Amino acid sequence: MNSLLAVILGGLTVYLAYTCYARRIDRNVIQSDPKRATPATLYMDGVDFMPTNRNILFGYHFKSIAAAGPIVGAIVAATLWGWLPALIWLVVGVSFMGWVSDYSAIVLSVRNEGNSLSAVAHRLISPRTRTVLFLFIFFYLLLIAGAFVGIMASVLESQPRTHLGMILMVVMGLLLGQMLYRWRIGLLGATIVTVGITLLAILTGPLTESSFNGLNEALNGITGGAPIVTYFDPTLAGFKGAEAKIMPSLLFWAIAICIFCYAGSVLPIWRMAQPVVYVGFWVTAMAMILGLTGAAVGTFVKPDVAQFQIPAFKGWNPQLGPAGIMPLWPMLFVTIACGAISGWHALFGAVGTARQIENEADMLPVGAGSMFAEFLLGLLALLAVSVGAKGSPVAAFANGLGGFISVWGVPIEYASSLAFAAFIVIVLVVTQLIFRVMRVTLTEWLGEVIPPFRNQHVASFISVVLAILLVMTGTWIYLWQLFGAANQLMAALSLLLVTIWLASVGKDWLYAGLPMIFMYVTTVGSILVTAYNLYFNVYQPNILAGRLLPAVGSGLMVLVSVLLVIVAVLIGFDGWRAFLKYLGRSSAPAPGAAPARG
Amino acid sequence: MLNSRWKPYFVRARDSLKQFVYGLTGYEFARHALEMRREMESVFVVLTMGDLVGVPILPPIYTLRLLPYLVPEVAAWKRQMARRKEFWEREEFDLHGI
Repeated sequence: MNSLLAVILGGLTVYLAYTCYARRIDRNVIQSDPKRATPATLYMDGVDFMPTNRNILFGYHFKSIAAAGPIVGAIVAATLWGWLPALIWLVVGVSFMGWVSDYSAIVLSVRNEGNSLSAVAHRLISPRTRTVLFLFIFFYLLLIAGAFVGIMASVLESQPRTHLGMILMVVMGLLLGQMLYRWRIGLLGATIVTVGITLLAILTGPLTESSFNGLNEALNGITGGAPIVTYFDPTLAGFKGAEAKIMPSLLFWAIAICIFCYAGSVLPIWRMAQPVVYVGFWVTAMAMILGLTGAAVGTFVKPDVAQFQIPAFKGWNPQLGPAGIMPLWPMLFVTIACGAISGWHALFGAVGTARQIENEADMLPVGAGSMFAEFLLGLLALLAVSVGAKGSPVAAFANGLGGFISVWGVPIEYASSLAFAAFIVIVLVVTQLIFRVMRVTLTEWLGEVIPPFRNQHVASFISVVLAILLVMTGTWIYLWQLFGAANQLMAALSLLLVTIWLASVGKDWLYAGLPMIFMYVTTVGSILVTAYNLYFNVYQPNILAGRLLPAVGSGLMVLVSVLLVIVAVLIGFDGWRAFLKYLGRSSAPAPGAAPARG
Repeated sequence: MLNSRWKPYFVRARDSLKQFVYGLTGYEFARHALEMRREMESVFVVLTMGDLVGVPILPPIYTLRLLPYLVPEVAAWKRQMARRKEFWEREEFDLHGI
């Protein structure tokens, strides 16, 4: 297998799924009508409800849904089960479920006066569904924050060549905000200056490697080379499990990330979060475009970088730690989330994109088109890790992507530096936004009962501490899979809502109902497997060794798993009752929707 | 030189690409600028509301000068004020995927 064949397969998947299946559903089931007024035209307020050109909206929606998910998921899955199961799930997932979820969430909102998923759930299922969804989102964010901070701290510690680029990216982001909103400099000029300097810093990263290496050594010298915390990590030593050590340098980078995220959480969005995301976007986009095109032509120009190195299939149930189980079903289907199907896309699509749809005929190219573009991102990550092969999963990805970029004449050392930077950037910018949403969610959830939570610094600080606690368990793969399960559960819930709505208006609900059943059962199964792994693989060994911190962290994760299962059962039960109710009177219309009540 | 038969396709593809790139890059800043302007306009609408309903609050000379600019915005402003937002919409952010 080589990268060209995989790229061709990806292109064929997109073409066939879009033209043969997605268009058919849009035409025959949803019956999108270009003459029907959309919420954007009915309730135009100039900002939230705003009819927008489909090409602009496609770019906006794609940027809003594409981030670290498709990349990290593909890397982990290829490492655990091999590239073939990951490739099959990406192709099948996006063709029959991914686009369905994204597109249908937009349709649901457009046909329900621009209402969000939770508002539709409140109306179609039951009032408590909305409350449960609210609680669910906080834990969902906590899981992903823990997973991302953990993976980033270890990558930053082990890759000193990326430090200069990351530091300058943050500085350039702050400068960009100042240039755009205060000095009123045009976007093009500001972009050239800030993105240019950031790229230069990233590419010259290898030259500064020794200096930052010295910094790490000096930090570790504070404790005389002794670790701060020792814990049992089942993912080490080729997934056999071993003692892991948290060194001062790792803690330093974890704290640096948290300070960055804290600032992103409390500063005005225009000051930091938004411009840093923008600068990071260009770095990532450049690496991805060079990488994807390099993967396509590499087979002819530089065949050695395009050949798959890892096994196609590593087994149905790879051993992970002394007592761990990792069955392909259901774990693969939550490990790769965003490239195949993702709940967050549906959540965002319903409130962000649906209210800007100018014409019903735009729902398919914007919703499904963006999901297929995200699939290509996941495919690129899978290709990169499959040809990279050496080192940790992230290092394999960066080496593989660096190899693809080097096809264009960039020396491999600098190309790998750009690839590493692209990975960190894409994770880092998302993490700061996650902390921002966590802060708002926590305030909303507990602010009325405990007034100090209304203070943004208190809420941000607590969010950071909780995430760090999860990181200290040292098992980011489990964190990732738990996040993936929460994300896929969200997708199943959005598909459940779509199914109920389709039944309520007398339309054929099977195209959404079947993926919903699969994702619902798979998600609940995966959460139970992860809880089992966490308890026997992390909690027990650490508690037996008398290590309190990792035991508390893993215990918290088991608790979150139980909560997720309860949430799934509650919403599933309410959803089933609502579905039966509407199915019984499928010809009668659902209760009328109030215009855009949130 | 492009064949005249293909030119319309080329122009359409070029325009679509430009719009796509704008959606990826500048559109978010434009939306944020609109949000900031809306916040500012809301303040003016509140200031002139007294005159709209016949209860002067500011010296009328200032509100009368503002009114022509604000009257067209009143309908949109009413919709904004009446719409209850989700907690994750209240601050201007999105998660850019995850």
